[in-house]
Amino acid sequence: MRRPGATLAALVLTLTCGCAFAHHSFAVFFDTDSQLRKITGVVKEFRFTNPHGVVTLAVVEGNHEVIWRAETNSPSILRRRGWSPDSLHVGDRITIEGWPARDGSKYLRMRAATRANGEPIGTAPTPVQEK
Amino acid sequence: MSRITALIAISLAGLASCAPQASTQPVTAAPVTHPDFSGFWNLDTRVPRDEALMKQVAPNTAFIDDTGPKEFPAGDFGGLKLKPAALEAVGKWNPYNQLTPDNACKPPSIVYAMQGPFPIEIFQSEKFIVIKLEYYDMVRLIFLDGRRPESDFPDSDVGFSSGHWEGSTLVVETTHLEPATITNNGLDHTADVRVLERFKLSPDGQTLLATQEFEDPAILDNRGVRFIAWRKQAGQHVFPYECDPGFAGNYSQPAPDKKPAAKHPARSEPPN
Repeated sequence: MRRPGATLAALVLTLTCGCAFAHHSFAVFFDTDSQLRKITGVVKEFRFTNPHGVVTLAVVEGNHEVIWRAETNSPSILRRRGWSPDSLHVGDRITIEGWPARDGSKYLRMRAATRANGEPIGTAPTPVQEK
Repeated sequence: MSRITALIAISLAGLASCAPQASTQPVTAAPVTHPDFSGFWNLDTRVPRDEALMKQVAPNTAFIDDTGPKEFPAGDFGGLKLKPAALEAVGKWNPYNQLTPDNACKPPSIVYAMQGPFPIEIFQSEKFIVIKLEYYDMVRLIFLDGRRPESDFPDSDVGFSSGHWEGSTLVVETTHLEPATITNNGLDHTADVRVLERFKLSPDGQTLLATQEFEDPAILDNRGVRFIAWRKQAGQHVFPYECDPGFAGNYSQPAPDKKPAAKHPARSEPPN
């Protein structure tokens, strides 16, 4: 060991520190076993920052307007798929397809998005671009 | 040019200017040439494992098959054998702790970061190699001059890396890593983790092939190895990551009965 006597301290630190880092686990928070969900609504807010962008949508469900949010892939990866901070604007009507949150909240992990006329926003992910 | 890229360029230029002039050096042998890893490399999980690299992996090592988009669900560590204390720790893992303003932009160590689905960019000289990761703006410096870390060298997310060439393969040992995740599902390595990487080019020079072995006897009864490959893409650079901690505001600690399940029935596949 490189620092005699430090091993036990390092172990204790590791097992008690809660060494969280920001990139939350997709597998833990989103349900890939269930069907992809599609929601259509009007953009209320669009944040395009790492580690994940977030689209806030006003969605009509029955007679009510409810707020859904969709988390995107890393914007630095999305840029290579044709996205930019100007891809969405408040008031745009779009459809988002994604995986539902495991906790049942109105929160998705976005897989793809299309405009009201069916035009895809950006390009589809490749097998090595998502996480 | 980003600040980090500028610093790298300045460092490499400074190194070149400090080198002895060729006219003052006796010519004793032909210069040693090594493969050139310089350039922009994007992760490609479709590349088959390189059997020659895999044969060099030490015994008692589990192959950790989570490179790129794949992720293990809670409770699955891909063949790593956890010691009792580590098992107890992962049982107490709360994934929402990743999503607080304090933690929202905390990078992992290179143990997890190198296999992420983000590109890397390499700047190479004879005395050191710089690997700039897009993921969390991480920058690795790999010394090739045989130096060792000072006794008080601090731990960090990139640690201290020393490399040497074995033929056309670059062998890199890294220590001094801060405790951080191994598999992004509650298993953390200690500060005594030791990482051994081997890098080489494919015969056509367009694919960078690597194995990443790690051992941490304080928490693991065996060792782990990942296979990682990147494809070269000309004319590109890694983008700034510039993490925004405001992302944490999208998550709040739920009531205990609403927390994600501790175990899921099947391994999660990439969200494509």
